[in-house]
Formats: sequence, structure tokens, C-alpha cells
Amino acid sequence: MVFSTLEHILTHISFSVVSILISIHLIIFLLVNQIIGLYDSSKKGMIITFFCLTGLLVTRWLFSGHLPFSDLYESLIFLSWTFSIFYMILYFKKHKNYYLKTIITPSVIFTQGFATSGLLTEMHESLILVPALQSHWLMMHVSMMILGYTTLLCGSLLSVAILVITFQELIQILRKRKNFYFLNESFYFAEIKYMNMNEKNNILQKSSFLSYRNYYRSQFIQQLDRWGYRTISLGFIFLTIGIISGAVWANEAWGSYWNWDPKETWAFITWTIFAIYLHTRKNKLEDINSSIIASMGFLIIWVCYLGINLLGIGLHSYGSFRPN
Amino acid sequence: MKAFSSSNPCLPKTHFLKVPTFHPFLRFHTNGAKRPHTLSFTISCKMKNKGKSVSQKIVLSEASPPPLTEDDDVPEIIKKKGGPFWVAKILRRKTLQILSNLPLAIGEMFAVASLMALGTIIDQGEAPDFYFQKYPEDHPVFGFFTWRWVLTLGFDHMFSSPIFLGVLALLGASLMACTYTTQLPLIKVSRRWSFLHSAEAIRKQEFSESLPRASIQDVGTILMGAGYEVFLKGPSLYAFKGLAGRLAPVGVHIAMILIMAGATLSAAGSFRGSVTVPQGLNFVVGDVLAPSGFLSSPTEAFNTEIHVNKFYMDYYESGEVSQFHTDLSLRNMDGEEVMRKTISVNDPLRYGGITIYQTDWSISALQILKDNEGPYNLAMAPLQINGDKKLFGTFLPVGDINSPDVKGISMLARDLQSIVLYDKEGKLAGVRRPNSKLPINIDGSEIVIVDAIGSSGLDLKTDPGVPVVYAGFGALMITTCISYLSHSQIWALQDGTAVFIGGKTNRAKIEFPEEMNRLLDKVPEIVESTLSKQADSISG
Repeated sequence: MVFSTLEHILTHISFSVVSILISIHLIIFLLVNQIIGLYDSSKKGMIITFFCLTGLLVTRWLFSGHLPFSDLYESLIFLSWTFSIFYMILYFKKHKNYYLKTIITPSVIFTQGFATSGLLTEMHESLILVPALQSHWLMMHVSMMILGYTTLLCGSLLSVAILVITFQELIQILRKRKNFYFLNESFYFAEIKYMNMNEKNNILQKSSFLSYRNYYRSQFIQQLDRWGYRTISLGFIFLTIGIISGAVWANEAWGSYWNWDPKETWAFITWTIFAIYLHTRKNKLEDINSSIIASMGFLIIWVCYLGINLLGIGLHSYGSFRPN
Repeated sequence: MKAFSSSNPCLPKTHFLKVPTFHPFLRFHTNGAKRPHTLSFTISCKMKNKGKSVSQKIVLSEASPPPLTEDDDVPEIIKKKGGPFWVAKILRRKTLQILSNLPLAIGEMFAVASLMALGTIIDQGEAPDFYFQKYPEDHPVFGFFTWRWVLTLGFDHMFSSPIFLGVLALLGASLMACTYTTQLPLIKVSRRWSFLHSAEAIRKQEFSESLPRASIQDVGTILMGAGYEVFLKGPSLYAFKGLAGRLAPVGVHIAMILIMAGATLSAAGSFRGSVTVPQGLNFVVGDVLAPSGFLSSPTEAFNTEIHVNKFYMDYYESGEVSQFHTDLSLRNMDGEEVMRKTISVNDPLRYGGITIYQTDWSISALQILKDNEGPYNLAMAPLQINGDKKLFGTFLPVGDINSPDVKGISMLARDLQSIVLYDKEGKLAGVRRPNSKLPINIDGSEIVIVDAIGSSGLDLKTDPGVPVVYAGFGALMITTCISYLSHSQIWALQDGTAVFIGGKTNRAKIEFPEEMNRLLDKVPEIVESTLSKQADSISG
């Protein structure tokens, strides 16, 4: 009883803190960041969220006696916890990496929101572990998989950002043909936005306007791209280890290291897609191609992580909506 | 890093001799010249070129690392030999060239991924009728996809269909060709290194910086402190770090090839079988195992007889099954016990290449006393219910057994813990635990449930591919981790009092400039008095 109350409190605190954070981010985004205090508070908020989620996981662990990886609800909580741990790592490394941080906070709110939403209410009680899950491999496999998903999601979101920026450019070019004058003004606003993003509030001369704009835009895209590449490479390692530990575990428990179970297959598809991403980088094909592939990877992770579970097929059918 | 430099006898640790410097450009000239008289030509080069112009050329060859060396060497041999051999050579080279093409490999990976996705969308392993209904010809999916596609292309058993296996094999071939033609030569190429002798070339690097008053020795010491391998020769410096990160992808590819080979071996040379054995009975391994491919050959261990000594289950407090165990004895042909182990899910038994897994369970019989007679064994049958939970039932006829509508007592059990009894009207009569010896009176007869006998579901397997696949798994994990390392190279040149520093890295393009700036901040600035000495020591 005490446990469930504590759990309840922690869930709600973490969720509301993240919701406040997201509104702060919106305020920063909409009203130009005149209030520096807000940015600071968003940091503090993330730290609070991190500790709440840690507390939540530990409570569940103590309460159920096994690691909190056994169903979708728990794995979603773990997912948002790994997101917040990334934030913490970046925070302590004192990297000037605003891109990843801005991507992480909304990710936490979405996963946390989905986990706490009414959709999964029946799953909130911690379940017993079925015999097949009672293995030390559970910790290794699930934590590595979720760590991999988190890292790959962050990385591919950066690629999605690149795509959005590039297509914004395309749209602007299309618009240019229609209305040149209007465009000049929108350029001006876009310019200011980019300056803010790069934290460089130089006063520009009108003559060198376009070249500056293009310079910062390409700088920004390059930075996003490089961070995306590093993050995805890291996530790829986790995913590889996760899939392999799953295969070894399956060989211990069921006598076959590969069964073409839907979840397995989709994990392998995810792995293949990110392998393609890494290869496109190798060949120095156009950046945009690799971004498109990484964005595909983003969708495929969600299919792999949620889609297969919601269908409730195969060995990994934890957290399906099917009544037991 | 140390392992690499020490493994290469050509690379002394710190100061560097002239001989190895020639190695790169020797190669360069053989590539460029494509003449039969390579040897004498290069020797003459060696004599002539000790100046800066050559090292410039080395830079060029560095900029476009020649994985093509192999290809360039081939025509020479062809010209000499000729004949039918020549055709074979050409063919081999062409196939290698096509297979190692990266866009092709990417296409293959996409094909594999989409076929796998299709394999999870289309239900696998159903009867043809199922596909007739699901993909009818009059309402094709996407306007063209009907059951004809599914059945002719073998998409009803995607993961063993010729198309899927073919694409996978093609991918494997590409992997091998790429490893052979591009990656293995890369190992040779990446071992080469060279000094840059002009400030111009250094400035062209991705990262470049100039320190107006510094000494190259200080730069070298600081780089060494940061984990770089540093080579110093006169006014020029070369340093590198993370060479393993450049070589590891080769390992990743080899590991993938190992895994694929192991999986093929598994598919061709394994035996599988599953059996449900009631407690107290036994079976012979060879009777259960069935070969899966043409390479499967039985071993001596197949004559082993396995006796199920005991089957039992653990329960949670709530009554759910938490784990099930089987106590197995293995006996050889002479009847001696060679091994005894209690297995459970996640804890299999391994003996002579055979692995026995605990996978399933059921209840085979109920032992009861009826009116103190017996014990009778009543066979239990699994009952179909919705969901994953198991239910077993049996029936004890009461009264005239030969009458057409025989009635009796039904007994149901979800596990070995408790048996639910119903009277002949179908009303709940009570719940009894086996071994409790508590009698229950139903329809005038007194029944004692003596025991519930479980049977153990075992899976047996021999798989010669597992060691190979595991080796591949291990190699893959290690090499993907190492691949995260970034191979950084730094060149520096002392030009008067100034030091020009340039560098590049292949992966950590964000961290590298930061690291460099941090390191270069540490380089001490030289004050005038020491500066003259410095200049002297360099010229002298």
C-alpha cells in the first residue's frame, strides 16, 4: 500500500514537472529568451524528473522483487528514465549541446505522458515474472535494447530536424518565385531565429546578409548532422549488444538463437536500417540521404517498440491490449 | 594503440628513421607507373627523391587512399599470362567489383529489411486456404497483391523462401567481396603514415592552427600525454590516435560473415526434436531428434537414454506458476548413469553436443483412490480455453459404464497444486490438494486424490553452428564498440618560431577540434631567450 502510494506520488510529480518544462520551453521558443531564469529552471526541472523517475523505478523494483522491465508500462518508464539520464550526462559534461537537450525534454514528456495516460491503466500493477523471464539475461537484454532505442531515437530526431530545416528551405525557394518581396522579410525573421539558435547576436550588415544566413544555416545543419552521427553510432552499439544478448538468452531458454519472432525481426530491421545509415555516411553520399534513412529509422523504432507489442504477437507480447 | 605500433617492426616508438618513410611512396610509384620494370624504377626514385617534392606526392596518395592497389596490380599479371586463365581472372575481378559496390550492398540491405517486414505483415505458415481468403483475387491488396503472389513467391514461409535466402546470400557475398577488396587493403593503407613538410598542406586539413611561439617538442610531449602515438623527425611531427577505430569495421564485417556461416551450418547440420514425457518414464535421444539438413549426422550420444526422475513446479504466493523443473538422469547403452541434473526454463542440460531444454509442461494423470480402492490412474487431457492459461481435465464415470449417457465426476486442474472436482450434475463439489489425503464425498463415492503426475515438455537439440555463431556474436560486440573510436591524425611543422598544426579525424568531428584546442592551450609559449636556442637546435 505504502509502495503504491509512493509510486503514485512519484509518477505524478515527474509527469507534472515535465509538463511544466515543456511549457517553459514553449515560452522560451515563442517569446525570445529574455528571461534567463527560465532556462535555468528547465535544467532544475529535468533534474527533479530524473530523481523522481529513479525513485519510481526503485520503488517498483523493491515492491515486485524483480527488475522493472516486465511489461510495457515499466519499459516506457525506463525509456523516459534513460532519456533523462542522457540529459544528466550532457548536463554534467557541460557540453554546449543545446540540440540534444531540446530534443530530449519533449521526448521525455511524450513517453512519460503515454506511460501515465489512461491507455495503459490496466498494466500499472506490477505483474509476476513468467518462468522464461527469470534470467539474468533479462537485465542485460532489456536495458541494452531500451538504451539503444533511446539513443537511436535522439540521434534520428536530430536527422528529422535536418530534414525539416532542409525542406523549409525548399518551401521557401518555391515561395520565392511567387512573392519575392514577402520572402525578403521572412528571410529576415528566419535569420534572427538562426542567430538565436547559434547564440551569436552579431549585428549584421545588410549587404552580406544572404551569405551569412547560408553560412549559419549550413553550420547549424553540419552540427546537427555530426551530433546525429555520433549519437546513432553509440545507439547502434547498444542495439547490437541488446540483440545479441537476446539471441544468447533465447538459445538458453528456448533452444534457438533466432526464431524470426516479429519483435526479433523488427529489431533486426531497425539494426539493418541504421547499418545502412552508417554506410551512407561512409560513402559521403549526400547528407540529406542519410538523414532520410535515419528518419525512416525513427519510425521503424516505434513500430518495433510499440507496434509489435500492441498487435500482441509473438514471444515478446508483453503489454498487449489483449485480455489475459 | 601501443599494440599496433609494437606489432609493426617498421615503426619505432619515438624518433623515426628514414627507411619506412619510403614505404608509402614506393607503393605510390608502383601504382602510378603500371610498368613491368617496377623494381628498378622505384629504386631510382628512392635515390632521387629525398626532398620535399616527393613527400608532397605522398600527401596526394594519402588523400585518396588506394584500396585500388589490388586492382591495379591485376592487369600486369593478366598481360603476362593470357589464355583461358585471363578470362577467369577478368570474370573474378568483375564479380568482385560488382559485389563490393556500396550502393548495391545498401540496396541489398534495404531488400532484406523490406522482405523481413513483409514476412511479419503476412501471416506465416498458414494453410493455402487462409491465403485464398485473406488475399482474394477479386479484391487485391494495393490493386495487385493476391494470394498468387504470396504462394508463388513463397511469402507464406518468408524466412525459408528461396527469395529471402537468395537476397541474404547475395548480401553475404557482397560482405565478403567488400571485406576482401576494400577493407583488408585498408589495413595496409592505414598503417602508412607520413610527415607533411609544408605549412600549406597542414593548413588544408580539417582542423588547423598555428602557434606563433612554440616548440614542436612541447607539442609532441603534450600530444603523447593525451594518448597519441607521436613520431618526430626534424621539424615535422606526425601523431595519431584511435587507429583501432579505423580497423574495427573490418572486424565487424568478418564477425557478420562468421555469424552467417554459423547460421548456415546450424540450418544444414542440426537435429531438433521435442517430447512430452510423464514423470517416471524414459526415452532414447535418437528417437526424438530429427535431422534438419543434409549435413546432420548422428553421434554416439544419440544412444543415451533419458529418464525423467521427477517433475515439479514452483509457485508464487498468489498461486501462479513461477518455474518448473525436471530431474533428469542420462544413462548410456550399458545402463550406467552418466549424468544427472535438474533442469528448468533458462537452465538447460548439455551432454555430448546435445542440449535439453525445459520448455513446457502438462499434467499426464491423476492418481486417485475411490472408496479406498486403487490407486487408479486417470489420464488427464488438455482443455482448450481462451488465453494462455492451461487447463487439464479428467473424468471418473459413476454408475453403469456401459450406458450410452454415462455420467460421472469431472476433475479439473490448472497446475499440480489443486484439483477442482465437479459432481455429475456439473456442480462444484470441492477443491483438493494432492497429497493432502483429505477425502471428498461426491455422489456417494469417497475420493482421495493421491497425486497429480506432471509430464515435462522437453526440447532437444544438437547444433554445430552455435560455437561459430557465438564467436561471431562476441567479435561483433567487441568490434562495434571499438568502431566508435575515432581515428585522429595530427601533423605539425616547425617553421622558424612558429608551429603549424593540422589534423583530421574520421568520426568524432565535434569532439576533435575541442580536444585540440584544449591541448594546444597547454603548449607553453616560448620567450625570446630560449627561442634562439630552439632555432639552433633545430638547424643543428
